[in-house]
Amino acid sequence: MANTSPSRLFQLPAALRSAALSTSLAPTLSRTPKPLVPATTPSPGRAYATATLPPPPAQSSVNQAEVSHFNTLASAWWDPHGSSRLLHLMNPLRHDFIRRCTNQEVRDPNEKLHYLDIGCGGGIFAESAARMRNVSTVTAVDPTPEVIAVARKHQRVDPTLLEPGKLTYLQTSIEELSRQKEVRQQYDIITLFEVIEHIQQPSPFLQSILKHLKPGGWLVGSTIARTPVSWFTTKLMAEEVLGIVPRGTHEWSQYIQPQEMRDWARQQKALSTSEGVGWQVMGVVYVPGIGWKEVRGSESLGNYFFGMKKRDDAE
Amino acid sequence: MSSPALLKRFLALPPSLRRSFWSSSARASPAGKPEIYDVVCVGGGPAGLSFVSALKSHSATQGFKVALIDSQDLTTSRTVNDADSYSNRCSSLTPSSLRFLKGIGAWERVNGDRTQAYHAMDVWDGVSGSKIHFDSVDKRSTGLLGAIAEMVPGSRFRASRRQYETSAEEAVVATMCENSSLASALLQRVKDFETEEQTAQVQMWDKTKVDSIDLGPEAEDEKSLDLSQWPIVSTQHGQIAARLLVGADGANSPVRQFAGIPSHGWDYNQHGVVATLHLDRTFSANELRTAYQRFLPTGPIALLPLPGNKASLVWSTTPQHAAKLKSLSPTDFTAAVNAAFRLMPVDINYMLATTTTTTDSQAEEFAWREAATPPSSTGLPPNFPHITGVQLGTPASFPLKMRHADTYTGHRLALIGDAAHTIHPLAGQGLNLGLADAEALAKQIVYGMEHGMDIGSSWCLDGYNSERWAANHAMIGVVDKLKKVYSAGSGPVVWGRSLGLGVVERLGPVKAAFMGAAAGVR
Repeated sequence: MANTSPSRLFQLPAALRSAALSTSLAPTLSRTPKPLVPATTPSPGRAYATATLPPPPAQSSVNQAEVSHFNTLASAWWDPHGSSRLLHLMNPLRHDFIRRCTNQEVRDPNEKLHYLDIGCGGGIFAESAARMRNVSTVTAVDPTPEVIAVARKHQRVDPTLLEPGKLTYLQTSIEELSRQKEVRQQYDIITLFEVIEHIQQPSPFLQSILKHLKPGGWLVGSTIARTPVSWFTTKLMAEEVLGIVPRGTHEWSQYIQPQEMRDWARQQKALSTSEGVGWQVMGVVYVPGIGWKEVRGSESLGNYFFGMKKRDDAE
Repeated sequence: MSSPALLKRFLALPPSLRRSFWSSSARASPAGKPEIYDVVCVGGGPAGLSFVSALKSHSATQGFKVALIDSQDLTTSRTVNDADSYSNRCSSLTPSSLRFLKGIGAWERVNGDRTQAYHAMDVWDGVSGSKIHFDSVDKRSTGLLGAIAEMVPGSRFRASRRQYETSAEEAVVATMCENSSLASALLQRVKDFETEEQTAQVQMWDKTKVDSIDLGPEAEDEKSLDLSQWPIVSTQHGQIAARLLVGADGANSPVRQFAGIPSHGWDYNQHGVVATLHLDRTFSANELRTAYQRFLPTGPIALLPLPGNKASLVWSTTPQHAAKLKSLSPTDFTAAVNAAFRLMPVDINYMLATTTTTTDSQAEEFAWREAATPPSSTGLPPNFPHITGVQLGTPASFPLKMRHADTYTGHRLALIGDAAHTIHPLAGQGLNLGLADAEALAKQIVYGMEHGMDIGSSWCLDGYNSERWAANHAMIGVVDKLKKVYSAGSGPVVWGRSLGLGVVERLGPVKAAFMGAAAGVR
């Protein structure tokens, strides 16, 4: 799977090569705080990608360029050696992190939780959540029709996942979910794994998610910090040099810093953001040959998990 | 399918063709959907039974729906309790195996009067007489400073450690146990889960032959359950689908053949001769015991202690010697075993090569040759006991071979024990490796359950394969090379190895590593 031919480097678009140069020369660039407010105009970098596609429907977080990109990935979701391998390897850490968040308070050992997985893709996390003993139901949504088809097909190979109501896939955006009255509207755990970096306007997107969180519930996600390190690993190495994931999977300028995430959370009245009991962060690093490992403090370097709790007295 | 070449060609066929082959060879399956099990374990030997017990002992997996299938009758002929007779098939359980067996509640069901711990091991070379002494003090590594301190002439460092740091439990190098005692204890363990409230019962199907293993049917439509990648096991009890099919079904594993996993290796041109022996001394239960192993050019011979005045013999030798030994009268067999420990290799070869069939001729040969062989010339350990007899009917032999599967896992499939690897029983490691497999696989499945994995998927099973395959490969390699080094009869290899043993004997930490590997101490 690795394509290490050096000539590939020179096949990079000129814009990327110069971006590489400027990033490495001015590392402080990435430290500039980036407010999560909606941008008034799309960035020039995205214009060429969206121009040929119909404009996104009003008030939807769905980025059509991203949707079409993930369509082409559909078949690789469940291939053990395909481009989703790193996501599969990360999956156990997602459960560990959720446990860390929920275990901030004493839990009833017999509780059964309702999960909502946003941007479920081929169902890697949604399936695993549905198999957990403390999970009652999992509702998994994704706007891309092809990945929902892949997820539904793979669901059929495991009888546990076919138990009525256990795991439901919906091809929908989070905004449309609110309009589907037959679907459960509030959840104990909402997950958002490797999604936020694909969203052009994260703030309204996150706010529309909070409505679906039960009081006392956790919004848990993972994403990538916008740093020279993450540009090097996710754009240059993963997409271009090694070819671990297809080119165009990541849009580096949309990456969000953990501090930006927390600043946003502090502005939300519904959220409890005190360290530990209401806010959790965990940096993880992929070590080839070993897998994903938690590395304290690495959240400001690259991949990290975040968890924020809705106040018990919120609506 | 009897010839290996034919099997290899069969395995080269595409899976769809293999599948149709298996289907056509299977008897007509009854209509209706197969019953779905979390784990189907084929093989009720120590590896399979301990694996099932390990699953049932953990809260994350005790609710599993488990089926265990064995072609033999598991309930009878497992309860020999005559205090004066011991099975010829015994194993030397390492401290890690014992820890695992205690953890799953099996060891407390083994009859403690029939097991024997030993606390030291004397190994010596049949040609050069150089020797090595292992005891549990060596297992504790002390680092470089300790090693240097020990090597200073006249140092009392080591002696003082030995005196003050050895507690009874830690002093055990390994524990001898009859395979049948262990099997019946494990079977009892699995049966006793019936009485535990939280635990789902294990479906035991013994005296049951696996008729076929196929992949499941194609799904009926686009919405229904798709078992086309699930193994379906057909027996007289019907068809069952396995989320995870575990092959604990021995060296000729049908499960491994279903998966098309090749197993490579070679046959040593050697046989292992086993027997239960009587010694000239009766040991009480709390005495410290020693195991003995001598490397002869024809292979190693080991005397492993059993309770009282009993001991277990494991003698690897040429097929000709093995055949000769089995034909001897009890008196001559006893004399030949004494000879193998006490005489020079040339004498042993002469005795076993001779064609005389007169009863008691071996005993006479041994008597005068022993008188002519001073113990100092052979390196015989000072406390080595005399063997006075052999339990009737126990001498037996089996061919030695080495096999290692290319991988231990496939989609919804895992191999443990002899199905995954068969090794030369030089260090008595076969059963220990199987127990370690069972422990590692059960641990991996618990991890999978705690992280929402499909326990039959490669995401769950990869960890087991990478942990155990590499470990077993290393052990197989060490045992195999050790065997090759010690089977040389003369020349530079003998000088080298006597020098080697001499050096190892002086280097505590090196011995510790050597012995740690042999005892499975991690």
